[in-house]
Amino acid sequence: MKKIRILKPVLVSNQQRARENRGVFDRMNSLVINIIASPGAGKTSFIKYLVNVMKKTCKILVVEGDIKGQIDSKSISRLGVDVIQINTATECHLDAFMTAQVLPKIKKNYDLILVENIGNLVCPAEFEIGEDFKLAILSTPEGDDKPLKYPLLFHLAKVIVINKRDLLPYVDFRPDEAIKNIQKENPKAVIFEVSAKTGEGFEEVFRYIHKELNARKKKSKR
Amino acid sequence: MHEFSVTKSLVDLCNQEAVRNDMKEVRIINLKVGRFTGFSPDSIRFYFEHLKTNTRCATASIVFEEVPIKIKCCDCHKHSTIDEPILLCPYCGSNAIDLISGREFSVASIEGE
Ligand SMILES: Nc1nc2c(ncn2[C@@H]2O[C@H](COP(=O)(O)OP(=O)(O)OP(=O)(O)O)[C@@H](O)[C@H]2O)c(=O)[nH]1
Ligand SMILES: [Mg+2]
Ligand SMILES: [Zn+2]
Repeated sequence: MKKIRILKPVLVSNQQRARENRGVFDRMNSLVINIIASPGAGKTSFIKYLVNVMKKTCKILVVEGDIKGQIDSKSISRLGVDVIQINTATECHLDAFMTAQVLPKIKKNYDLILVENIGNLVCPAEFEIGEDFKLAILSTPEGDDKPLKYPLLFHLAKVIVINKRDLLPYVDFRPDEAIKNIQKENPKAVIFEVSAKTGEGFEEVFRYIHKELNARKKKSKR
Repeated sequence: MHEFSVTKSLVDLCNQEAVRNDMKEVRIINLKVGRFTGFSPDSIRFYFEHLKTNTRCATASIVFEEVPIKIKCCDCHKHSTIDEPILLCPYCGSNAIDLISGREFSVASIEGE
């Protein structure tokens, strides 16, 4: 028997493809945000709130990842922004190859591309798609311990949004505890507390995304 | 869950490497899995049995090497190994931590004829 050293990540081809996607997005000058949360945490509601305000000042594309169906993409396209649907059929996450399939369908340059990943806190975290950063959403009914139970996502996400703030009187969710738990996984996380129902807390999110968009434009001018 | 597609990538990678290195039959795949990943060895083994057929890995088995989570504290500069991926320094409690290992998911080597 012979032994051959390989020393390659198993997901090497996904990582390569993600880098190629990244290159395409860079040439389009698009800021790409990979939005990850459990089912029903409010990914679509968050995107809709954001899009409704930000569509006035920037060109937005939403990429909707779902196992099946077009419910979310239909409700988003009613807001008057472009939506591309990816149906993964059996997969519990988007990967770089599925994302690559939407590239030919992108016909113009968008400032902002919001990707709604499959509702799941585990799998999407492992697969890069070519995003600028991951944004995780944690909703108050899920409990303030979730960052500790799904550490990888909360470790990797640059931005973490605590959603459904309006439900705080009805659920046992301690925002301070949640933030402490997030910081145990990710001390540098940028954290926002919002309600996609009332719009509370979104001012800061808008400001942050505008800052990121400007940083991206500067980067591409260089 | 995602172990299906991950195991598919594993078989593809090992098969490619076997072809490239002129190995007709892979017997052992030495796989490093960090404790700070979401991959379950049991599900990988389960899917592997199906996915390996008709590849150069058809008679192979996987040997898992678990990689511990090692951190370095940026405040007190001590190194430590932690069981749970809660990134706090056990010495001083700081969360200014550099992750040294634990995110690995890679094929270390393949053995065969
Ligand atoms: N009270 C309250 N309800 C909300 C909030 N955000 C979302 N919801 C509700 O929560 C439910 C799920 O929201 P969605 O936006 O569809 O969640 P999602 O994460 O996109 O769900 P999937 O795509 O199915 O994984 C809907 O009934 C929303 O109206 C919020 O801030 N407060
Ligand atoms: Mg949705
Ligand atoms: Zn320390």
